[in-house]
Amino acid sequence: MPRNTLNRQLNMVQDEILILGSMVEQATRAAVGTLKSRDLREAKLVFEQDQIINEKRFAIENAILILMATQQPMARDLRTLAALLEVNTELERMGDYAKGIAKVTLRMGEADVNLPMVEIDQMSELAVGMLHRALGAFIEENANVAVAIPKEDDRIDELFNTAYSKILHEMVANPSTIDNVNLALWVIHNLERMADRVSNICERTVFIATGELFEMDGMDEEDLNV
Amino acid sequence: MNPMKPKTFGSNQEMQDAEKNFLYRRHQRARLAQSVFQLTTLLAVIFLATLLVTVVNKSMGYVVVENKVNPATLSDRPLSELNNTELAQILRENLRKNRVRTLERTGFLEDQSQSTLVQLVEAEIIQPEVVESYNLFPSLINRSKIKADAAVSYPNAKVEFRYWLNGVFLINSMASQPELAGVRSALLGSLQLILITILTAFPIGVGAAIYLEEYASHKSRINRLIQTNIDNLAGVPSIVYGILGLALFVRALQPFTSGALFGVDGQNGRTILSAGLTMALLILPILIINAQEAIRSVPDSLRQASYGLGATRWQTIWHHVLPGAMPGILTGTILAISRAIGETAPLIVVGASTFITSDPTGPFSSFTALPIQIYNWTTRPQPAFQHIAAAAILVLLIALLSLNAVAILLRNRFAKRV
Amino acid sequence: MNQPSKYVIETRGLNIFYGDFQAVKDISLQFERNRITAIIGPSGCGKSTVLRAFNRMNDFVPSAHATGEVLYHDQNINHPSVDAVQLRRLIGMVFQKPNPFPKSIYDNIAWGAKMNGFRGNTDDLVEETLRQAALWNEVKDNLKKSALALSGGQQQRLCIARALAVRPEIILMDEPCSALDPIATLKIEDLMRELSQNYTIIIVTHNMQQAARASDYTSFFTMDTDRAGIMVEYNETSLIFTKPKDQRTEDYITGRFG
Repeated sequence: MPRNTLNRQLNMVQDEILILGSMVEQATRAAVGTLKSRDLREAKLVFEQDQIINEKRFAIENAILILMATQQPMARDLRTLAALLEVNTELERMGDYAKGIAKVTLRMGEADVNLPMVEIDQMSELAVGMLHRALGAFIEENANVAVAIPKEDDRIDELFNTAYSKILHEMVANPSTIDNVNLALWVIHNLERMADRVSNICERTVFIATGELFEMDGMDEEDLNV
Repeated sequence: MNPMKPKTFGSNQEMQDAEKNFLYRRHQRARLAQSVFQLTTLLAVIFLATLLVTVVNKSMGYVVVENKVNPATLSDRPLSELNNTELAQILRENLRKNRVRTLERTGFLEDQSQSTLVQLVEAEIIQPEVVESYNLFPSLINRSKIKADAAVSYPNAKVEFRYWLNGVFLINSMASQPELAGVRSALLGSLQLILITILTAFPIGVGAAIYLEEYASHKSRINRLIQTNIDNLAGVPSIVYGILGLALFVRALQPFTSGALFGVDGQNGRTILSAGLTMALLILPILIINAQEAIRSVPDSLRQASYGLGATRWQTIWHHVLPGAMPGILTGTILAISRAIGETAPLIVVGASTFITSDPTGPFSSFTALPIQIYNWTTRPQPAFQHIAAAAILVLLIALLSLNAVAILLRNRFAKRV
Repeated sequence: MNQPSKYVIETRGLNIFYGDFQAVKDISLQFERNRITAIIGPSGCGKSTVLRAFNRMNDFVPSAHATGEVLYHDQNINHPSVDAVQLRRLIGMVFQKPNPFPKSIYDNIAWGAKMNGFRGNTDDLVEETLRQAALWNEVKDNLKKSALALSGGQQQRLCIARALAVRPEIILMDEPCSALDPIATLKIEDLMRELSQNYTIIIVTHNMQQAARASDYTSFFTMDTDRAGIMVEYNETSLIFTKPKDQRTEDYITGRFG
């Protein structure tokens, strides 16, 4: 079958995306971990390692551009490469979210803060799990699996609401800790946005397979009934 | 071992040696082939040069001339300066009355052309006789010996260097004495003959070629039959065409070829017209084949371009195919003319005269042609005839080259025309 | 026949044979006015044969015969009563290898027009068509120069000008750029785009990128199992090259054909 060069290089890019994905997963877990352990040194490490994620993202983007220029991809190949570009960006943003969480840890410093860690933990696990499976479906171009994943977003939204009310409650109860408790809002916000971005990845998977692009939300209720 | 052997590239020593040997032999063979081709070209050049040298050799040299009557006794001025009246008077004075009457059968002496009268004076009165003649190379090498011999054997004779091909030779018509004979009528006959041949064969040949290549379907059986027959006719010996011409043009079409249809009296079918038409038939097959080849060589993309613009078939042929094929057609015409101008056998059969003194006056005249004249002269024993035969051959070659030059000029014009 | 007037020429169930061999089978295509339609596909699937059917150039191949209809101005052009000579003026053709006449640039263009009965100002006609073919500025100083002295790309543009001089409605192009270098190719593609404002262009091309760059509609041909050419898919170019409907089209376009 001709197009050996294109196939080989496409596979290389896909492998790199998977590597980037696992870097993001690992960063997220690590960031949430530092929030739990309040290990400032670890948090600083996570913060700095975002740089590596950025560099990888640019490298992948460059590789894709070169592939487009030299191989003139058409139809499915073209959609695949376009989707890879998009997913590349989404992963980098998710990396930024992990960095944001580590930053919160650094900001809080030694202060004594009461955080809804249970919910945060669960949200993190769920989000990372969704990401992992979404990437798998993406590489395999499995639209069926991809379509199902955004639905898990609902659970994350529930956890978000729960954590949100706990945080508000804490802010009212201990006004002196408002600054730091406030920061926790950012954490749950980042985790919730991460799940949204996973949905985008699933949209792209369907696009590769069918050429159609459409929004996949879960039941996205931003209105909060607190 | 050739020190200039080129370097070879190989991996291990054994392979390198074997390859070197083989390579050397291949180069050797190539050089051998090249030498063979150079040799064959050289041979061809030698043959050609030999032909030319032989002819030129025979066409000039020393001659020992004896005059029966010294021209100085007839008049104190050279003959060519005398006018008709004076020449006529000389004739009347020196010839017997019967002879004068015979000469005046076509008209009074005074009314004939000056050159004819000069010729008559020379032929009837002076009667120069070449008693001894030499070829060019002997003439150049043994000049003093020739002069000495002549002084001994022919004390009254003059020794002069003669170019047998000279202006007089061209102007004079046929005579029984080689010294006075010329090729005028033969040359004119050949030229008129060739003219009729070209004018007939060229349009018919090119037209047939156009039809066969452009209009006819190449696959139909009838057309393939026609094509095969044309190809075969090209190889038929020329004498067969002579016989055909005799039967068809001289005999069957006599009213047409003798001019009776056009009011010409007293002529049979053995005219220039018959001969011209016969030669046209002779060269027609080659012309057609050659023209077909030339038309075929016009790239089809030109035709496609023309049709694509909405041209008809005839417009395409006239504006693109023919101009493109013209160089090739003209080259073929050159070859055909070259063949026609030298053909002797068919002309003999169709009735070229071997002894004609009057010029051909048109398509309906009797005629002679250069090849006939040459053939006739070479069969005569007198050495002088050999000389004038050589001179006539040179005339033929020059005529041929001139015709070819015209055709080449035309061809170059077509080829350059953009 | 209610034909939408946006189709200037169309085929219905066209089959073309060379003797007993069927070259193309059941081709039904419509060509929109003032658009560029490309026909792509692997070698030997009859693209050029179909193109040449539109101006009846197949007439010059003795063994070629066709069934089905090619409708131009509501008339089946294969009908014996149609004058093929006039048809070829209205439907012009540009060939794969540039084939200018061995005449001057001026005469190349003037000949076609004069031969069709043009009586107007030839100088103006020559200038106008050379401008339309984006060649005027390069040759205006010496129109008497031989056409054969031009470069390949210039010769091809001259052939386009020559075709324009007889005022066609449709211009057929049979792989017009395959003998040209990339710069000349792009110039001709730009030219096609400009010409499509006034003419309908149908182009057969082996170069997929060219079809993708230069055409509005693309039709993909392939060879059926009996080696006859068939039309697989016909759609807007943008759709054919991003999401083709037929797997065979996808395979060909992505180069995974065969």
